[in-house]
Amino acid sequence: MKNRLLVKQISALAAVFIVFAAFNLAMYMLLTGRLANNFSGASQSKMIDVARYLPHEPGSELARVESSLKFKAEDDLPVLDGAAALVLVYAAIIDSVYPEGSVTYEGGVFSDDNYYGENFAPDSAMQYKNTVRGYRAIVDGGTDILFCAGPSDEQVAYAEEKGVELVYLPVGLEAFVFFVNKNNPVDSLTVEQVRDIYGGSITNWSQVGGANRIINPVTRLPGSGSQSAMDVFMAGRDIARKSPFALFGGSIGFSFRYYMTGMVGNEAVKLLSLNGVYPDEESIKNRSYPAVAQFYAIYRADNDNPNIPVLLDWLLSEEGQTLIAGSGYIPIA
Amino acid sequence: MKERTFLTLLFILLAVCVLVTAAHLIWAVWAYNHCSIIYFIAHEMWQGR
Repeated sequence: MKNRLLVKQISALAAVFIVFAAFNLAMYMLLTGRLANNFSGASQSKMIDVARYLPHEPGSELARVESSLKFKAEDDLPVLDGAAALVLVYAAIIDSVYPEGSVTYEGGVFSDDNYYGENFAPDSAMQYKNTVRGYRAIVDGGTDILFCAGPSDEQVAYAEEKGVELVYLPVGLEAFVFFVNKNNPVDSLTVEQVRDIYGGSITNWSQVGGANRIINPVTRLPGSGSQSAMDVFMAGRDIARKSPFALFGGSIGFSFRYYMTGMVGNEAVKLLSLNGVYPDEESIKNRSYPAVAQFYAIYRADNDNPNIPVLLDWLLSEEGQTLIAGSGYIPIA
Repeated sequence: MKERTFLTLLFILLAVCVLVTAAHLIWAVWAYNHCSIIYFIAHEMWQGR
């Protein structure tokens, strides 16, 4: 009798433990295991390793042109900054036009205090603050030219609040792309279907010809370049709050084409066609892809650095546009 | 085991399990907000095509 009671008690304790352990194991398998350590090598892809794109370094993965414009060390060198996806564009400009020694990189260890690993010296002509802080830097005067996608409403408002007029000069084209896991059977969506997914009226992949699985529409940080592009893409529709269970579903995300295919590169995800058109160089050039986006060189209208217009004229010249193309983007001129 | 001992053990076990699960959930929310979206989607589990 006593033994039977003891077995029951131990069984009850074991059952409680097993239920909790199973729940946590399932959540780890389905969710947290995929989130990994944010600063691990595998997930730094979010932030890119800027050390791969340093100007005037022999091993840098930068496009190079023989430039007719060469700044000298004594010139007032415009400080360049930009989005993660455009680091290799403005680093290549510095590499081709600026004198050696104009960039001081102090090493980039990713940490909570140094989220982008952007250890450039304050007097370096190259900085890397990415979009959100880059917009603030251009308005506040820490940067001369910012290479980014179009601004968010908040970024426009911040410039207005500070009484700063920004000039947005389009310098290249890029595709705004949507991507899913490579094993997701869906290869193509229409623009309206994507808006319906993010707007909350399509919630299951089976509604767009896929598997019977809830859709997890992933968004980005407010103010990031891709999130601002997404807000434009939604054409006035709000992005809906998703169900918490969506985290366990099949995800869809968005980004810019070359960031996905050239800079980060991950064979376990695939880009989706939009309205049946795949985002490649040809469909961006002829604008048959429905979500072609411009990216800009942005500067303060009241910035009197004489080398800003000189540099931007060069960037729109054949040499500059060749550099844009060599960096993986589509020339605008 | 005495009922009192059993209930104490059960309470301790439940408390530990709830705390661990709550910590796991908090970590999941933090990690989701900080993770690479590409990495997150790349590691999704799907049935073969």
